[in-house]
Amino acid sequence: MADKSSKKTSLSLGIGGMTCASCAVNVETALKGVPGVKNAVVNLGTEKALVDYDPSRASLAEMKKAVDDIGYSAVLNTTTLQVTGMTCASCVEHVEKAVGDLPGVAKVVVNLALGKAQIEYAPEITSVTQIKKAIQEAGYGAVEIAEGQEALDREKEARQREIRRQLTNLIISGTLGTLVMIGMLQPYWIFPLFVPEWLNNKVVLFFLTTPIVLGPGRQFFVNSWNGLKRGLTDMNLLYATGIGAAYGIAIVNTFWPDAGFGGKEATFYEAAALLTAFIILGRYLEAVTRGRTSEAIRRLMKLQPKRARVIKDGQEVEISAEEVQIDDILAVRPGEAIPVDGVVVEGYSSVDQSMITGESIPVEKKSGDEVIGATMNKTGAFKFRATRVGKDTALSQIIKLVENAQTTKAPIQRIADIVAGKFILGVHALALATFLFWFFVGFGLWFTPESSLLLTPYQLTAIGAFGFSLLVSVTVLVISCPCAVGLATPSAIMAGSGKGAEYGILFKGADAIEASSKLQVIIFDKTGTLTKGEPSVTDVVATEGLTQNEVLRLAGVAEKNSEHPLGEAIVQGAKERGLKLEDAKDFNAIPGHGVEVQLDGRSILLGNRKLMAERNIPLNGLTPEAERLEGEGKTAMFVAFNGKPAGIVAVADTLKETSAQAVAELHRMGLKVAMITGDNRRTAEAIAKQVGIDRVLAEVLPENKANEVKKLQSEGLKVAMVGDGINDAPALAQADVGIAIGSGTDVAKETGQVILIKDDLLDVVAGIQVGRATIRKVKENLVWAFAYNTLAIPLGMGLLYPFFGKVVSPELAALLMATSSLSVTLNTLRMRGFVPAIRRRGQAPALRTQPVQAS
Amino acid sequence: MKNVGLISAIIYTSVSVIASGLFLLATLSGKYTVIERAGGAAWVFLLSMIILMPLVTPMVKKRLQG
Repeated sequence: MADKSSKKTSLSLGIGGMTCASCAVNVETALKGVPGVKNAVVNLGTEKALVDYDPSRASLAEMKKAVDDIGYSAVLNTTTLQVTGMTCASCVEHVEKAVGDLPGVAKVVVNLALGKAQIEYAPEITSVTQIKKAIQEAGYGAVEIAEGQEALDREKEARQREIRRQLTNLIISGTLGTLVMIGMLQPYWIFPLFVPEWLNNKVVLFFLTTPIVLGPGRQFFVNSWNGLKRGLTDMNLLYATGIGAAYGIAIVNTFWPDAGFGGKEATFYEAAALLTAFIILGRYLEAVTRGRTSEAIRRLMKLQPKRARVIKDGQEVEISAEEVQIDDILAVRPGEAIPVDGVVVEGYSSVDQSMITGESIPVEKKSGDEVIGATMNKTGAFKFRATRVGKDTALSQIIKLVENAQTTKAPIQRIADIVAGKFILGVHALALATFLFWFFVGFGLWFTPESSLLLTPYQLTAIGAFGFSLLVSVTVLVISCPCAVGLATPSAIMAGSGKGAEYGILFKGADAIEASSKLQVIIFDKTGTLTKGEPSVTDVVATEGLTQNEVLRLAGVAEKNSEHPLGEAIVQGAKERGLKLEDAKDFNAIPGHGVEVQLDGRSILLGNRKLMAERNIPLNGLTPEAERLEGEGKTAMFVAFNGKPAGIVAVADTLKETSAQAVAELHRMGLKVAMITGDNRRTAEAIAKQVGIDRVLAEVLPENKANEVKKLQSEGLKVAMVGDGINDAPALAQADVGIAIGSGTDVAKETGQVILIKDDLLDVVAGIQVGRATIRKVKENLVWAFAYNTLAIPLGMGLLYPFFGKVVSPELAALLMATSSLSVTLNTLRMRGFVPAIRRRGQAPALRTQPVQAS
Repeated sequence: MKNVGLISAIIYTSVSVIASGLFLLATLSGKYTVIERAGGAAWVFLLSMIILMPLVTPMVKKRLQG
């Protein structure tokens, strides 16, 4: 939560009304202009702004105003609360102040007569519960009004509102525009046979075009003016200039035909009308299709249960899931969704967790087991204690992570940003240069009265130098729109991160997706990553004079307080043999080497060769035995008692079922695979051989893992480190991509840039495949978008005219521009059907590897 | 802040007026109608304003606010 006293916090703010990359740049500029805002990054695809700000200096209301002022809208949640206890106007002021002072509240309006408070707020900063608490602390009562809860998904509502608005605009401009076009074509081809002559009357066309320009087209003029006032330019300006010029010339030629602008035959009503209609068609289609690319996140949001049944005074009381507090006891019946995260306290059931973990088999839950909010209770009824609520639940963390990933920018997007950001000015400069060229040079050199517009039957006979140059200039403005360039990257990143989430693969940022696609080496941590991390004692070797049980007991005593998996295996092995493990003193863990303890004044040393050598313990005949065990892939640990060698305890771990398949698949994808471990080389190589790993980094101390990653990076390789996310944190951080595996649901705590919810190595492969597919899509989109502009701009500038006597009309330019943006969005939508190759193959049981014993 | 807006407006408007003046001068060398000259000058002025406004305002702001 944002605290007004804290120095810096971040907020993800929904932004409505953006249509292109320059809109994103404008919103960023406006937000950065608010005092106290340190940084703002806007993602056009997700329509969200990630704002870093100082809450003591910048308020949500100021940020909202800055965004609203330049013609966009900051999308916030609204809620209506029934406020009780208000008696006078000052009560209104008190409630407004209490709520308005909360950091996440942008606006509060209290109606005394109705006893209602309507609040606009950012839920990630301030929850409804906190708002209610503030009202209660001010001495009034507050109850949420049920209707408000139905509008939980404000973002979706805002998008639908935009779709409805553009659809209305499209119907008006499309219908009237078609009439205008038919009217303009009336004298040509077969049109005189069925189109009445009066429809070609310029005054009639004026009355048909004017509602289009002043109605649906008004948005372009208003928005571009708002931007210009603040020194900002965007696509709206291109459209406004284009539509305005065509409409202005048409009016002059209609009412003052002798003014020298080409006369009545050179009215461009259809240009103004169809230009508006096509731009709006493009916006409408974009609004519809762009909504679909973020379907994954919406599906996650939909999982959020709305209601919860809390046990209060022995009674089940139904409340909003948002109001559940930590330590509340909740009841869940068969077939119900679990409202928040918690721990089962009573009852037994099986729970379908597939929506969060991707695991298709329901998981048995009994007292003491953890349950995840939004998962589905199947058979039994149970009660659980809430442990994580609101924005701390696993689902909320996942949603936030995916949203953040979608809001960040991939490095590849910088090219698009630079191009789109400077493009508008460049286009206007180009339009000016084009105008000057055709006015002073081109028109005199090439103009013939037989000239016509591309794909239209009528000719430009009566047009003069100004009318012709203006026409080409306007076409340049319209055809050059870099909307497709702006959409190319964010739409694909959004689709890719959503696709990853479907498979339980969470990318923490767009840069992680891009980096995943470029990987050359994958380093796996051994214990707990390639192996199950549940080792067991396999062999005990005793020196002369000692029994195996005595050696194992000494090792068990040494490891009794250890939390290392190998130590736990030894203790477990000793207990299984019924050995009594005394309490030792002075436990000393020597990282990467072993442990040392004192028992009855004598030391027990358990560890590797290095430790024994450091303490001058002669290993005598134990070395060949150790080498044999290590050759079998077992970890051999030497035991020394009172300064003398006692024996060896060998421990082996079990490989995970999918380790070998994942490594084989990574090799097939052309990646090098390495394993990093603290184990000695012989053991490490034996395990590496079983899984097919070609490079082994053995005997690496935990603190040196990051250095090994660095060494590989210094060879110019792009390296991913796959580890458990906590022990391997430095190496995960050092790697180009840190992949934290088996994180379960506490995803926010992980160090890696890629979080795998499940403990399945095939997800490493799937993650890289998702990354590669996403960046391939980005590149396809960028190639298409740049190719469009490269080809379209010369056409718009009249390149064809000297050779064919034809120029592109502004309305055709608008159609081309809309098609270009749409094709990029549609290309991205193809990712909806994408299934990582490993998951397609993984469904065939024959290709699943069998569990492999590491020994 | 008010100064920034005013100074910027003076600069970009002046430059745009000069640009359209130069356009008018250039048209003297050809056979153009008055309307063509006036329309062309207006279009040059408009495009110049659009190009200059977002360039001049931040420059002035930077200069004045250090």
